[in-house]
Amino acid sequence: MTSHAAREGGSRIDRPPLKKRLADASAPYLYTAPALILIVTVMLVPLVLGISYAFRDIQLLNPFSGGFIGLDHFKALSQDQNFYRALRNTLWWTGWSVLLQFVFGLILALLLDKPFHGRAIVQALVFLPWAVPSFLAGLNWAWLFNPVVGPLPHWMFALGLMSEPSNILSDPQLALWGPIIANVWWGIPFFAITLLAALQAIPRDLYEAASIDGAGPVQRFFSITLPFLAPTIAITVLLRTVWISNFADLIIVMTNGGPADRSQIVASYIFTQAFKRLDFGYASAIALVLLMLLITYSMLIVVLRQWLLSKD
Amino acid sequence: MASIDISAIRKSYGILPVLHGIDLEIRDGEFVVLVGPSGCGKSTLLRMIAGLEAVTSGEIRIDGKRVNDLAPKDRDIAMVFQSYALYPHMSVAKNMSYSLRLRKTPAEKIASVVAGAATKLGLDPLMERRPRALSGGQRQRVAMGRAIVREPKAFLFDEPLSNLDARLREQMRAEIKKLHQDLGATSIYVTHDQIEAMTLADRIVAMHGGIVQQVGSPLELYDNPANLFVAGFIGSPGMNFFEGRYMRSGETASFALTGGAVLPLPSTANLPDGSRATLGIRPEHVILGAEGPDAMLAKVDLVEPTGFGIIVHLTLGSVAFKAFTLDRRFLGMQGEVAVRLPVPNLHFFDEAGRKV
Repeated sequence: MTSHAAREGGSRIDRPPLKKRLADASAPYLYTAPALILIVTVMLVPLVLGISYAFRDIQLLNPFSGGFIGLDHFKALSQDQNFYRALRNTLWWTGWSVLLQFVFGLILALLLDKPFHGRAIVQALVFLPWAVPSFLAGLNWAWLFNPVVGPLPHWMFALGLMSEPSNILSDPQLALWGPIIANVWWGIPFFAITLLAALQAIPRDLYEAASIDGAGPVQRFFSITLPFLAPTIAITVLLRTVWISNFADLIIVMTNGGPADRSQIVASYIFTQAFKRLDFGYASAIALVLLMLLITYSMLIVVLRQWLLSKD
Repeated sequence: MASIDISAIRKSYGILPVLHGIDLEIRDGEFVVLVGPSGCGKSTLLRMIAGLEAVTSGEIRIDGKRVNDLAPKDRDIAMVFQSYALYPHMSVAKNMSYSLRLRKTPAEKIASVVAGAATKLGLDPLMERRPRALSGGQRQRVAMGRAIVREPKAFLFDEPLSNLDARLREQMRAEIKKLHQDLGATSIYVTHDQIEAMTLADRIVAMHGGIVQQVGSPLELYDNPANLFVAGFIGSPGMNFFEGRYMRSGETASFALTGGAVLPLPSTANLPDGSRATLGIRPEHVILGAEGPDAMLAKVDLVEPTGFGIIVHLTLGSVAFKAFTLDRRFLGMQGEVAVRLPVPNLHFFDEAGRKV
């Protein structure tokens, strides 16, 4: 507008003063500055700092550490058998936790979608585990698995699943299953809540039309419920996978990665390196590898989703 | 194709009764319209025939076979919903073939039946589209296509045109009627729109408060309504009602309107002397600009031209009523006008609202 007027008039008088032009040009930057500064300080600075640790020798108890060491941490990491076991355990932990949480969450959501007497109270109760702090949940389950104070080993012994009432958390072969069971208990409500919301958004008359068209309950589930839930399932499974693979609380509380690092996942291994051995540099290097793996996974999912959408 | 027999059907939700004993026989190939205001139970009755609502008591028979306890899929009926209820993640072709695919019909048969229905409904260019890419009228057609590919025993329509605009509704109404003439399928159609009921039905079932008020051909209901409800519900603009007292003296009688005017009647009706009654007359039967001894002066309140004719709002005494005329002379009418209520066109209803 102003430049247009200036061209038409051809005189310098039409041009607004320098101060006004400066203010106009800088206005958008000034408006966005507070948000940008906040994002940079809160998100980017810690990220860059953390990444830089991965290339430096930072040990909390060694005042002479702190120097740049290049890729030394990654070389050490490539020969670290504990890291590879933690990586395998992460797959195991994440896979079973997400799968069981999803399956039980879906079953629960389908049950809660049917009207019955006292449904509101049952719904509220079902969502309770989600409100329990993860450390409390971990302690609780650790005690349940403990044959001295908890009933579970005795029940499993009585059912013939165990040769003696022992603690599975101290069995190297089974230790990871303790936190997985606790995690499933703790995470079912998340899937139940989100899937129930998606279920309730499905128009009821579609089910009626399908039943008149001749579909039984199983056919209705596969031709109506599942297609409607698919987007929600995709996004919740993606979210939970990233979340659970980073989620070390239950393992730290229940087994502390033991016995003999057998239940260590990458996230808990990072925690152990950083806060038990106080080697921040090595911990940051592991964290960077985990970050790369998760970014790769997310990208694959996004690409897969795009491909599915374009195929449609 | 099949007959449908409904006997002594009742429906209650908890302690709340919504249908009080419905009896209805629908003949093979007949087009029956259930009509009534919202909440009269017409949709509930239709959903009970479809098997979407449980029957509290009574019996429904399709083709002579009791279906009370059969699941919807085993009743061999098709239904068109008000919301269309198309499967949004399937193409038009998939929507129409869903029921056939569930029945494991051979692929060639499905293709030919679906193609035939698509041609009949003018859906050929749309077969690969998703429902959200269709207009309201097209979705309505797909919903009907989904119903006709199965060749079911009966078609059920639950207010199928309510979501369309007026012009499209008129067009689809004619298409449904044509389709019924082609297929000759037993059809039950629920609507609250009495024009749809009048134009489509072989027989109309007028319902109110969970009770069947009258069953008959459209013109029977129009010309000879069984009670005040049917008289008021069928016809637009609706029938005029005047409350008053029936007076009888020997062979002659008269009707004293509540407003004070007295209408002489040459013949007697089957009403006791001095009883309260309601007189009804359709707006098109009111004669405007009348002369003669039985003409009454009415005040003109409002004149509404509809293009086809003119609706005149009048007040006689203190009772408001309407007249409908095709005569454009009355367009600029003001003040008072002489009206006559011709006796052959009068309907009398007793105190309980029954026609006498």
